[in-house]
Amino acid sequence: MTPARLNHIIAWSLLVFLVAPALIAIPVSLTTENYLSLPWDGISLQYYREVFNSPEWMSSFLQSTVIGLTSAALATVVGTLAAVGLWRLSSRWGEVVRGLLLLPLVIPPIIAAMAFYRLFVPLGLIDSYLGLILAHAVLAAPLVLITVGASLAGFDRRLEQASRNLGASSAQTLWRVILPSIRPGVISGAVFAFIASWDEIVVTLFLSKFTVYTLPRRMWNGIRENTDPAVAAAAVILLGVTFAAFLIWGIAQRRAAKPQSKST
Amino acid sequence: MGADPASGGLMLRGLVKRYGAVEAVAGIDLEIRRGEFLTLLGPSGSGKTTLLMMIAGFQDATEGEILLDGQPITATPAEKRNFGMVFQGYALFPHMTVRDNIGYALSVRHRPKPEIAARVAEMLELVQLQGMDDRLPAQLSGGQQQRVALARALVFSPPVLLLDEPLGALDRKLRIEVQEQLKDLHRRVGTTFVYVTHDQEEALSMSDRVVIMRAGRIEQVGTPEDLYTRPRTEFAASFLGKSNFIDRDGRRFSIRPERIDLLPLGAGRSRGRVLSLSYFGPLLKYRIETPDHGVLEVDVDAWRGGVALAAGAEVGLDWTDEAAMPLEK
Repeated sequence: MTPARLNHIIAWSLLVFLVAPALIAIPVSLTTENYLSLPWDGISLQYYREVFNSPEWMSSFLQSTVIGLTSAALATVVGTLAAVGLWRLSSRWGEVVRGLLLLPLVIPPIIAAMAFYRLFVPLGLIDSYLGLILAHAVLAAPLVLITVGASLAGFDRRLEQASRNLGASSAQTLWRVILPSIRPGVISGAVFAFIASWDEIVVTLFLSKFTVYTLPRRMWNGIRENTDPAVAAAAVILLGVTFAAFLIWGIAQRRAAKPQSKST
Repeated sequence: MGADPASGGLMLRGLVKRYGAVEAVAGIDLEIRRGEFLTLLGPSGSGKTTLLMMIAGFQDATEGEILLDGQPITATPAEKRNFGMVFQGYALFPHMTVRDNIGYALSVRHRPKPEIAARVAEMLELVQLQGMDDRLPAQLSGGQQQRVALARALVFSPPVLLLDEPLGALDRKLRIEVQEQLKDLHRRVGTTFVYVTHDQEEALSMSDRVVIMRAGRIEQVGTPEDLYTRPRTEFAASFLGKSNFIDRDGRRFSIRPERIDLLPLGAGRSRGRVLSLSYFGPLLKYRIETPDHGVLEVDVDAWRGGVALAAGAEVGLDWTDEAAMPLEK
């Protein structure tokens, strides 16, 4: 066996090792048994039917979507504005601030969850949409800061100067010159922010009780309380949405990478 | 079409720009006359671009003030100064068509759409880019991009147009063509042009006046002819054109290579031996070693010179008294 071939084998085994646990949900969701198992005795879509016909599952699906989209939108606006502001400053203090803003990425989720809990109890934000949206937006904003910051690093400062020189206000410059140039970074940030909220469980466990019950939260309970294969079906739906979000991101990146010229 | 003929006179008073301990601009006093084509010429690091950025409003002055038609504008932000600018590399908005690039200044001022369309058409004609409205900058050649940048900067009839090495990205042949277009454009729009370059040829061929800059200071100001025929310092003489330097009676003089005549040995006020010669089409350039003045460069009209002298030949050298320009210490 050549070393190259060996490398291939090792690489593929690693990949399978990393991805397989996530994908195991797919066969399990198709089982005919009434407990979590591989579908040895035939395939059935009954658990998908169960999930789609269950008002609880559908409600969780909807809640996760609403919370994911809203918190992603919020994180995108805040993260983008912060990135542009730090880029404009481009000072040493700005870099210190950037470091602070990135902290939520470094802090263990369980500690962030406790902090949110302590803060939200007196504010009455526990078990509310607003509370979860705010918390998820805070956790996701650094992701947007990173992707938009990367886009801005490649942005020609003279374009901003040109816009100002031509009489545009800061807001006009941001909207008409800067944002169109950093769109790929903004879209990436929004997608990552959505995914971060979509599969978030730790903070959600602390902040939700009855009113708010996201998809990961219901799966968590489903696995703890029984071994209903409907959880596997829900997991596949969750994975599918995440995958779709990555697809959107990939398409946005390819669009951005393509040169803007058509042939003349 | 043109700018307001009553506007566009700039006055710079005691301008200083300091970065920490470094003085990029070290005290500039300069009057830029309404409607003139003024060039800031200097090597890199001479402060010419910093000075332009201060006039544009992108750099704050550490000291001193800038006046437009007598009114101080030192504290006015760039977007309120109403100066057009052509950037190095043009800085066209890559996601906008030629039409939207040119119309940008009017559109951010909320001018009515028909007015913008009419103005853009006018500008496209001015820079001869009719029919290119819908192209993106990436679909244009370097020369075309440069013209879009000009049209974009002139569309709102600014009193002053600032140009930061606008020909740097073009190849030599195109540069000469564009120099003529720029000069012609300046005549037609009547706007004050402040032009930054390190290229002496551009400075000589286009400007009404040239400011030679060195280490953040003005070395000499004058018409191209003034500067070429009467350089005041060694730096000015060697930066604008070529020059020989000779010392006599404790003073230093500059003599342009074309002002030295080659004569048979024994004639003229000096003598020397040909070190090398190169053929430049219209000119023969000699390097001649003299006992009194070191190596001198001498340009001879190739068509006049008859037989070219070979390296090693002994010759006499002569020049008139007014050819030797005394320099300041």
